[in-house]
Amino acid sequence: MTRPDLSPYATVMDDSQLTGRPIVVPGAGPYGGDLELPEPLVTGAKTWADVDRDICMHAEQFPTRRWWLAFGVALAFLGLLGFALMTLFYAGMGILGVNQPVSWGSFIINFVFWIGIGHAGTLISAVLYLFRQQWRTGINRAAEAMTLFAVCCAGLFPVIHLGRAWFAYWLVPYPNARGPLWVNFNSPLAWDLFAISTYGLVSLTFWYMGLLPDLATVRDRATHPWRRRLYNALSFGWTGSQRAWRHYESAYMVLAALATPLVFSVHTIVSFDFATSVMPGWHTTIFPPYFVIGAIFSGFAMVITLMTFMRGYFGMTHYITLNHMENMAKILMLTGMLVGFAYCTEFFMAWYSASAWEGFVFRNRAFGPYGWAYALMFTCNAIVPQLFWVKAMRRNTLVLFVVSILVNVGMWFERYVIVVTSLHRDYLPSSWGMYALTFWDYAFLLGSFGLFFTLFLLFVRVLPVVAISEVKGVMDPQVARGVPRPTAVAATVPAVPAAAQGV
Amino acid sequence: MKPTSSTGVLGDFYLPGDALAAAARVRAAGWTHFDMLTPFPVHGMEDAMGQGRSWIPWVTAGLALFGVAFAQLLQNYVMVWDWPMNFGGKPHAAWPSFVPITFELMVLCAAIGSAIVAIVAGKRQAVPPPPLVRTGATVDRFVLWISATDPKWQAAEVQAFVRSLGADDVRLVDAKGGADA
Repeated sequence: MTRPDLSPYATVMDDSQLTGRPIVVPGAGPYGGDLELPEPLVTGAKTWADVDRDICMHAEQFPTRRWWLAFGVALAFLGLLGFALMTLFYAGMGILGVNQPVSWGSFIINFVFWIGIGHAGTLISAVLYLFRQQWRTGINRAAEAMTLFAVCCAGLFPVIHLGRAWFAYWLVPYPNARGPLWVNFNSPLAWDLFAISTYGLVSLTFWYMGLLPDLATVRDRATHPWRRRLYNALSFGWTGSQRAWRHYESAYMVLAALATPLVFSVHTIVSFDFATSVMPGWHTTIFPPYFVIGAIFSGFAMVITLMTFMRGYFGMTHYITLNHMENMAKILMLTGMLVGFAYCTEFFMAWYSASAWEGFVFRNRAFGPYGWAYALMFTCNAIVPQLFWVKAMRRNTLVLFVVSILVNVGMWFERYVIVVTSLHRDYLPSSWGMYALTFWDYAFLLGSFGLFFTLFLLFVRVLPVVAISEVKGVMDPQVARGVPRPTAVAATVPAVPAAAQGV
Repeated sequence: MKPTSSTGVLGDFYLPGDALAAAARVRAAGWTHFDMLTPFPVHGMEDAMGQGRSWIPWVTAGLALFGVAFAQLLQNYVMVWDWPMNFGGKPHAAWPSFVPITFELMVLCAAIGSAIVAIVAGKRQAVPPPPLVRTGATVDRFVLWISATDPKWQAAEVQAFVRSLGADDVRLVDAKGGADA
């Protein structure tokens, strides 16, 4: 498709001109075919100086009324979490809905849900970095921040599920005066501790590495000496020295290469919590890939939700374009289909294994008393994302937003289905039971959203929400410099190959 | 570590490619105590400045091996030596169940260690202008800095040389950190 309204080598486009298709230059390809060029990642003829201003602005000006409104709502839910925590510590675990036979309830569901949300950030920052997906630059900073905050929410639940949260440090193997009494390294719960804490720390390191040059940018824009000093300390005195960039880039690549298998390992280990048990419905080899793909699916849904806010609230449409949203929609559809495939495989294996217990659990899961949850899960996760076969749906932010919410609802219910339906009817019909969430279960779930959004709203107030230095690197230098090159100077500049100019 | 000084010459370049060509010429002219300050990494600059590839991956490999060794020693010490327990007659040194923690500690040590080493090495090897000078290199400028510690240093000559590279806004920075147009 040729684009009569554009120069064939257009690097300046408006949002409205983006189509999500390459710009075709007929006959300009290396063998005489068509040359297809991608659309620019940043729209609106932005210069490098504009990028600094547009992105740092939100951390430099006084918060808007809309921000206070959103922050107030988030803070109210955080207060609910605090109230629920105090009540839990005062009254004990009896305030929750867990009991025999369903002894793992909403806390484990919320834990798996939040840790799943946390997967998309590192996937975007590490896996897409290794695959040279340059569109990641617009969204990776916020997605990584989302990861960190989701891990905070996730980490809360196993700790309070211990019952005596103040002894949580006993999970850490350190020489102690109790024997020493060590943790059991054969237990998946001990693996979980290492997996989640490693994931949190490595994600934090990766995020902070990416922030260093941008903190220096904020420092150089600061007018108040204390603000300048603070951001200078936070950026470790970053100057942009090429001798520092050399090691920085190498370390960033290494971190991406380490974080990629880490993403897959974390939810694999979370799935071991279930898969190494001998419960029908949990004891299956499909669990690690099934959990990992579900995590990526739900994480991308949350990224789409947050990016819709960033585009709307913070006017980031030039940096998070419709093309970015469409790419995420494609990933959402792909992972949604993989999740749907896993649901079907589970059913097939339950029949094919000829295990009576396994067969019963799955019939009970889909058609038993919790069939409504299964139907909700299947509809939201496997059927709704099929909308994205249609390009117009992928580029409609309202549809994207609604689907992303539905997917998150569906993924919460996936964990609900896995945890509750496997437990509530086990081998002995005499010990069957039902599980219902109490007010406090809901308070913890809503409160964890309060924690998440409070942290996220604070993040957008104090730090650059888009990776400035990375976005600058994917812009066309000829446009992004903004001022014409002085001709007197240009005459003395040695000839540079065109390829080097496009660095 | 290269000696740093608060005296030197700054020159701005218009585009990454100009900076790349300039860096190669500064190096070819025999300067060693110089640096290029850029808002984002300019690919090919390591070669233009004659630095070669970063050695960070070797640090990562060493730290990863340390993480593996530490995790294996910890788990075997606890499960086999210090607190052996019988779980259904299974062996004490149940290596498959030690794999997850070994992997996690490998990644943890390698990732955090590499990041710290990279930041420290970058700080130590950089030849930056004095911290009070606003170079604009975090915004949109590609800035060449030649430090007065370079053995070839001659203030007037250096400014002429930097201008001959095509730099804009060439200025001498004196020992007090102020910029002289």
